[in-house]
Amino acid sequence: MTGAALVALVVLLLCGLLAVSGYDVGKALTALARGAAGSPTIFASSTLVRATPLLLCGLAVALAFRAGIVNIGADGQLLAGATAATALALAFPRAPALLGVPLVLAGGALAGVLCAMVPAWLRRRFGVLEVITTIMMNFVVLYLVGYLVRGPLQEPSGINPQSATLSEAYRLPFVVPGTRLHAGFLIGGLLAVALAWYLRRTAGGFRIRVIGANPNAAAVAGQVNVPVTATRVFLASGALAGLAGAVEVTGVTMALYENLSPGYGFSAIAVALLANLNPLGVILSATFLGALTAGAAAMQREAGVPSVLVSVIEAAVILGVLASRVVIARRARLRSAL
Amino acid sequence: MRIPLRTIGRVLAAAAFVACGDPKPTNDVGQNSPAFKVALLTPGPISDQSWNGGAYAGLLQLRDSLGAEVSHVQTKTPAEFEENFRQYGAQGYRVVFGHGFEFQDAAVRVAPDYPNTLYITTSGSTTGPNLAGIRFAFEEPSYIAGVIAAGMTKSKKLGAIGGTELPPVKASFEAFTAGARSVDPTIEVAVSYLGNWDDVAAGKEQALAQIARGTDVIFQNADAAGLGVFQAARESRKAWVIGSNADQNSIAPEVTLGSVLIDLPLAFLTVGREIRDGTFTPRVIALGTSTGVVRLVVNPAARDKIPAAVLQRADSITTAIAGGTLQVPVASRDSSAR
Repeated sequence: MTGAALVALVVLLLCGLLAVSGYDVGKALTALARGAAGSPTIFASSTLVRATPLLLCGLAVALAFRAGIVNIGADGQLLAGATAATALALAFPRAPALLGVPLVLAGGALAGVLCAMVPAWLRRRFGVLEVITTIMMNFVVLYLVGYLVRGPLQEPSGINPQSATLSEAYRLPFVVPGTRLHAGFLIGGLLAVALAWYLRRTAGGFRIRVIGANPNAAAVAGQVNVPVTATRVFLASGALAGLAGAVEVTGVTMALYENLSPGYGFSAIAVALLANLNPLGVILSATFLGALTAGAAAMQREAGVPSVLVSVIEAAVILGVLASRVVIARRARLRSAL
Repeated sequence: MRIPLRTIGRVLAAAAFVACGDPKPTNDVGQNSPAFKVALLTPGPISDQSWNGGAYAGLLQLRDSLGAEVSHVQTKTPAEFEENFRQYGAQGYRVVFGHGFEFQDAAVRVAPDYPNTLYITTSGSTTGPNLAGIRFAFEEPSYIAGVIAAGMTKSKKLGAIGGTELPPVKASFEAFTAGARSVDPTIEVAVSYLGNWDDVAAGKEQALAQIARGTDVIFQNADAAGLGVFQAARESRKAWVIGSNADQNSIAPEVTLGSVLIDLPLAFLTVGREIRDGTFTPRVIALGTSTGVVRLVVNPAARDKIPAAVLQRADSITTAIAGGTLQVPVASRDSSAR
């Protein structure tokens, strides 16, 4: 499915929903477009900033899914990364930026790895389905953060459930002056390119694709050590999601909050699937979802349309794309059979 | 969906190009327009008949009484708080309300960039040249609610159910406990938090659990989730409920003693008038019993079930608080230390 068709589908669905719910269609669509890309500043400050955690988590999910690992725990891994980044930054308040920023980003990634380690180990040792364990880990981390922001990591006055604000030295640099676009999006873009290259051009990447396609064939015919490869991919996926959390803290919020993530790790599954698990495609699909959510906020601000309406459309679009893919695949098979 | 590297490169280059085009923040738009533009950010849905719904009613009040041009947006995460604060600032809004203490950090970060917009956080305590807070003395009527609950309980077991452990909620429950114990020091108050503000089923479960332990008056402050507390009381018929934030007496009149309410429309109007007339100075605006913004409203349908002596006692305490002769004792009162 091409991008143009996707956009057309979204617009059509939106028009229908808006008209049925009795809103001014023209006004709402104008607001949506303006909120997502009304000016270069808005595009960078709203759409791309919102796309950044989706991009990094999307890569995490795409990588795992490529190897046949259903990592639904990106949200928890993101929160763990955000927590570690906050804790490190608060522990070393006077670190110079050149040292401090890489330190907290690495710490965030490492926390993501630790968080993925539990389900990875359970899968490897006992064959426990990671679909279940990763979802459960999400709750473990969420409530752990809830405890931390009311306990050890709470801000000094002890009133509000959040951490203290990080020192400015830890702020990720803004890449475009005058906008809120921080280096996190660039990091995500570079990682996407690197990941695409690795998956397509290296032996290691080939092994990942093979165990995803058929683990038995990979073990028998390809002499691939499936458990080891799968575990490595699982941990790398956790690292990417953990990095997303560290980036969100140092790029946007500058403090740890319980409600840091509106479910980035779950939207990331949609991002990865929309991109057909292609890391480069993830850049586009994350930007697309970022634009939709940024536009949704504007639609509510300027046309009074509840932003949940856009969640409906997001879901419908994802279903539409996935369904169309099945149809296309079936047609291709039919054609090759003839 | 195979996307060639070249296409990605082109898209990114185009994005970077347009992003660089407009570096200066556009905070001078609409500054000279005579319209009095007011915006509201709520942390939850305005259909909760409580904290968020009351604020929305306040916004509409500003529209109807002062002719303000109004806009509302529902926001979930700190990143969204900041983005929407910025967008309203850029669009030349005169006043932006962030409805909850959790909006403070974002307001502090954004306010210096948009000096012509006044950012007000309800239950916030931070101030600046264009930054103010509103402090509702919600604990005062909560104390009176405790007095009435103590007059009604037969088991000497009271309950309090909150959404999450936020400072104003905690202070309110402490005041409720203090009020009840001022009547009878042996009264027990079981306090529980649901962990969220919108899970109606969880609210109901928690209320049923408390009722099973013999609790016969429950003070709820859980917004949309609190509606479940009313359901539980209505089904079991063994407990009274006291509502919070808005006048909730009509939700389940047969089981409701009264509501501890914040008259948000009155509060918004009070502040809005000051701003329009130019007499406003940025500060923490304290709104207590004497202003009529916070008060306990006894449910008219339950008035004849409450002993006259209890009502009399509540009335005399209200007068004492309004006159300043009685200070409600609260340990974790939101200090303005920051």
